[in-house]
Amino acid sequence: MTGKQTIDIRDAIRQAMDEEMTRDATVFVMGEEVGEYNGAYKVTKGMLDKWGPKRIIDTPISELGFAGLCIGAAMTGLRPIVEFMSFNFSFVAADQLISNAIKMYYMSGGRFKVPIVFRGPNGSAAQVSSQHSHCVEAIYGNLPGWKIVAPSNAYDAKGLMKTAIRDDNPVLFLESELMYGDKMEIPTQEYLIPFGKAQIVTAGKDITLVTHGRMVTICKEVVKELARKGVQAELIDLRTIKPVDIATVAASVKKTGRCVLVEEGHIFAGIAAEVGFQIMTHCFDYLDAPLERVCQMETPMPYSKVLEKETLPNVERVLASVHKTLNTQ
Amino acid sequence: MTNSFFPVDRSSVIHRLGPQALINCLKQMILIRQFETRAEAAYQQGKIGGFFHAYTGQEAIQVAAVQALGPNNWYSTSYRCHSLALLLGATPNELMAELYGRETGNAKGRGGSMHFFTERLLGGFGIVTGQVPIATGAAFTLKYQDNRNELSICFLGDGAVPQGAFHESLNLASLWDLPCIYVIENNKWGMGTPVSKAVCVPRLAEDKAPGYNMKGYTFDGMDFFNCLGGFLHLREEVLTQQRPVLVEVITERFKGHSISDPGLYRSKECLKEIMQADPITRFEQILLQEGVINEQDVKEWEKEARASVVEAMDYAEKSPWPSVLTLEEGVFS
Repeated sequence: MTGKQTIDIRDAIRQAMDEEMTRDATVFVMGEEVGEYNGAYKVTKGMLDKWGPKRIIDTPISELGFAGLCIGAAMTGLRPIVEFMSFNFSFVAADQLISNAIKMYYMSGGRFKVPIVFRGPNGSAAQVSSQHSHCVEAIYGNLPGWKIVAPSNAYDAKGLMKTAIRDDNPVLFLESELMYGDKMEIPTQEYLIPFGKAQIVTAGKDITLVTHGRMVTICKEVVKELARKGVQAELIDLRTIKPVDIATVAASVKKTGRCVLVEEGHIFAGIAAEVGFQIMTHCFDYLDAPLERVCQMETPMPYSKVLEKETLPNVERVLASVHKTLNTQ
Repeated sequence: MTNSFFPVDRSSVIHRLGPQALINCLKQMILIRQFETRAEAAYQQGKIGGFFHAYTGQEAIQVAAVQALGPNNWYSTSYRCHSLALLLGATPNELMAELYGRETGNAKGRGGSMHFFTERLLGGFGIVTGQVPIATGAAFTLKYQDNRNELSICFLGDGAVPQGAFHESLNLASLWDLPCIYVIENNKWGMGTPVSKAVCVPRLAEDKAPGYNMKGYTFDGMDFFNCLGGFLHLREEVLTQQRPVLVEVITERFKGHSISDPGLYRSKECLKEIMQADPITRFEQILLQEGVINEQDVKEWEKEARASVVEAMDYAEKSPWPSVLTLEEGVFS
């Protein structure tokens, strides 16, 4: 019996956490405003009523303290889900994330594992300016020990979150404030999505677009626009940034010979730089044009919506790079 | 305001422990001293690399703590971690092999001097105060599991007190009634900076604890009996009340901050005077007076400890290097 339900991303994440809390009594949620307030973005809405304060735990504004506390809890037998109200606030806890969470298993010679999920909105929202708009995947992705996922729809959000909670390693689960309300029809029965599997969103033969997270939405518009002009673009959603599914990306680029990488974060040493380099390694003889990147420009996020739109990748900038790669304009 | 040490009646401690436990504690202190001394010599010979922080001078504290609190608790400490690993069951062989960077080492040669572990020792943490939120998390787990028989014990240096993680951890532990004992080992120096230039109050526990709605205590870290009596009291108090406590243990670091520190910030006379208060000598003298041991015993135990450390060095020397083929193994569980 396969049922269907139409839910948004915040409901999908909540369902995943709820199902895993039912399955495993060691899973709990901790963060600022996750309980009484029902979540700053309502991802944890109703969970305090259902699970009580033992497992839905409100914290003071103390990211370093509660992130580190949860790493200690993970080392001693629990499976914490830590909500950062925004991943920008993870920087306050960076020493615990970097020096402890991702180093512990290796530096203890395999003695202590750290099964923990850090989740919350990543990247830009709507005019929240310089200090609340960071994309953290390239910053943390430089360091071994993380698994990093960035779902772009409700189906992936639920399946990847369930996998994240069951993983015995630290996971960064990157959401987008602008996408919490995006609805989709997904199964009612349980499913999981394995890490390390990219998704071909639309198949095409002329050019490959590689992206993740909220930029999938931008790239879908680009694909539509190109289709009107008779260009068939293949759009790949990485879904998991680390480990990255280079096999799917390389197979596509070998077919199309051309590729544009789109990333919400900054261009210097970004995810696009890494994936682009791996494409060069695997597909050198297949490339018919230099790789192109469309990323956030090298500015702190400006407040003004006119400037904000310009510094982020947008449909126009992606289209321009596609045409440059295709040598069509 | 000056410190006054938690009142402990020495004879009642002697009576409570009995001769065998007292002798075991002395032997542990001797082993720790020998381990550090020999390992430092191996370092000077180039057998050991990286950072190396000796526990020499502070032995009474962790020996008394583990004796009083028992091994079945969660323990965490800073990079000055050799002593606690030995006390919680790691062998001199595996620890020396770790220092030598060998496959048979405590952490397979991946951790080194600052990162020792046992089943109940969460580390050896290399960043000052890094272990304090972790220990708080271990106490959180005990509460989550409704385990009222165990504690989380966090050792930290005086240099950790000015860090933000100290403040956040103590606030959370108190807010949430977590069974954690925070033990500040005040050896008076944060690397080369005296504690008076680092912390704005003179009494690290008794002045700080009230701000966290916690009880604060001060122990004499050069006096095994004062530490033991103090930790016995804390065990009872924290298990019963399920509330965190903050302890300052005043001690002395006989060596530099690390092996590369010549200690130019304190005079030779000053160091000589400090070393008069050697906690091992003091402990021995009392046990001699009490007739628990004789001088021949001490010589014998020193010889035994030295032999076991020399054997550990031999074991480490003969142990294989980690295979480079394993380099990328074990990043993920």
